[in-house]
Amino acid sequence: METMIVTGAGSGIGSALTRRLLDENYHVSAWDRDPGDLAGANDANLDFCEIDVRDADAMAAAVADAAGKTGKIAGLATCAAIFHTRPFLDVTEDEWNAHLSINLKGTLLACQAVLPRMLEQKSGSILLFASSIARRGAAESAAYAATKGGVLGLGRAIAMDHARSGIRANILSPGITDTPQPRGNMSEDAMYGWADNIPLGRIGMPDDMVETALFLLSDEASFVTGQDIRVNGGASLF
Amino acid sequence: MGDKPNILITGAASGIGRASALRMAKAHHVIVADRDGDGADTVASEITAAGGTATSIIVDVGNGASVRDMKARIASDIGPVLSAFFAAGIFIRGVTGDISEADWDRMIDIHVKGTFLCCQAVIPDMIAAKRGAIVTMSSDFAVMAVPGAAAYMAAKSAIYSLTKSIALEFAPHNIRANALGPGPIDTPILKSGRTDAEYEKAREDLAESLPLGRLGRPEEVAAVLDFLLSDRSAYMTGQIIHPNGGQLMW
Repeated sequence: METMIVTGAGSGIGSALTRRLLDENYHVSAWDRDPGDLAGANDANLDFCEIDVRDADAMAAAVADAAGKTGKIAGLATCAAIFHTRPFLDVTEDEWNAHLSINLKGTLLACQAVLPRMLEQKSGSILLFASSIARRGAAESAAYAATKGGVLGLGRAIAMDHARSGIRANILSPGITDTPQPRGNMSEDAMYGWADNIPLGRIGMPDDMVETALFLLSDEASFVTGQDIRVNGGASLF
Repeated sequence: MGDKPNILITGAASGIGRASALRMAKAHHVIVADRDGDGADTVASEITAAGGTATSIIVDVGNGASVRDMKARIASDIGPVLSAFFAAGIFIRGVTGDISEADWDRMIDIHVKGTFLCCQAVIPDMIAAKRGAIVTMSSDFAVMAVPGAAAYMAAKSAIYSLTKSIALEFAPHNIRANALGPGPIDTPILKSGRTDAEYEKAREDLAESLPLGRLGRPEEVAAVLDFLLSDRSAYMTGQIIHPNGGQLMW
């Protein structure tokens, strides 16, 4: 059995991915500040770790613990992120810092926590979740957009730096997806109303992202690295 | 044909097309289409020898009459095609000033007109079935540049644009269209127009230039194709996916 690590595993795409990885017979080290959807989950292969991605030491310890259990860290998926919309001139420095420290620096720290082990193994697949907002922007989303643009750069840098060590890194950019995240910023009607702007006629479902994540994390994508895969129903068509 | 859904693959006699035909045969009846009839027969035989089913068809995708013949034969002998991969392609090397009009026309006809005609051939069945998945063969060179490949770059960029048009126009019919944009893959196209010594040097240089440090295998592209044609990518359309060893990141 091999380990997959998921950050932001308590909700949304992170919890859907965690459950699917368990179904695929991985040991999952699931990290979040709060167990959320995973509360009460009873699976011998699931280790929930109460971790804030700003805490590098806690992540290093969780990696050591997971590696001790299965001997191999097959992959890391970074789903942890916050998203608070705010008119640009009203964005406070605290709010900016919170986005940057969780969404971007937290992603870096999670990667830094797993990479030493992957370098030892000479294998590993890293998947960073960005967003269609990284490229297209969105109204009142400056802090979030900046962090997700940063994730694109970070993912490519990891891909470049560690390709020769057998490590792949890719990015998945979801369009609007039926999770708690958009509900924090808009009504149900507004969220589902986005379907009108999407060629395939619906907003994304967590499973859409999970399928692509599984593909990119697996050896099926053995020649795919440094790519930003946009799962958005054709919105913007790029 | 039988219980399996049909898939049409052009350029299926060699390289990425062949590897894709062999892989997709696990769950499909494969229409092995190629200009090289003997090559197509060989791949079809490989598929049947492995327990699959296949039909080989000779087609020149740049020729409207030939594509119409293929469509008629599929309609009469095989049935609806709801899955298609258009991999037919050639490479004619040459700096822009030296490309002949005939070579230019051939490159554009096979790649761009060929993809266009083949899409026109399969989309009506997909509309009728209210579902379908198309994958076209673009290239890293739809996005990044390389010297000595103006016609190839123009053709591959056009295929990517055409793919986006099809994705947008036919999304309401639940038809998805995505492009593959491979980087350096060890196929006969890599060898075309090169002597053995040049080919060996190109292989080494390309491998060294890639972040992953090696050329890709056709089977690695076929794995991405399988993903893009399957329901696993049900929410992806109009995208170009690059199995490229990290040659291009954008």
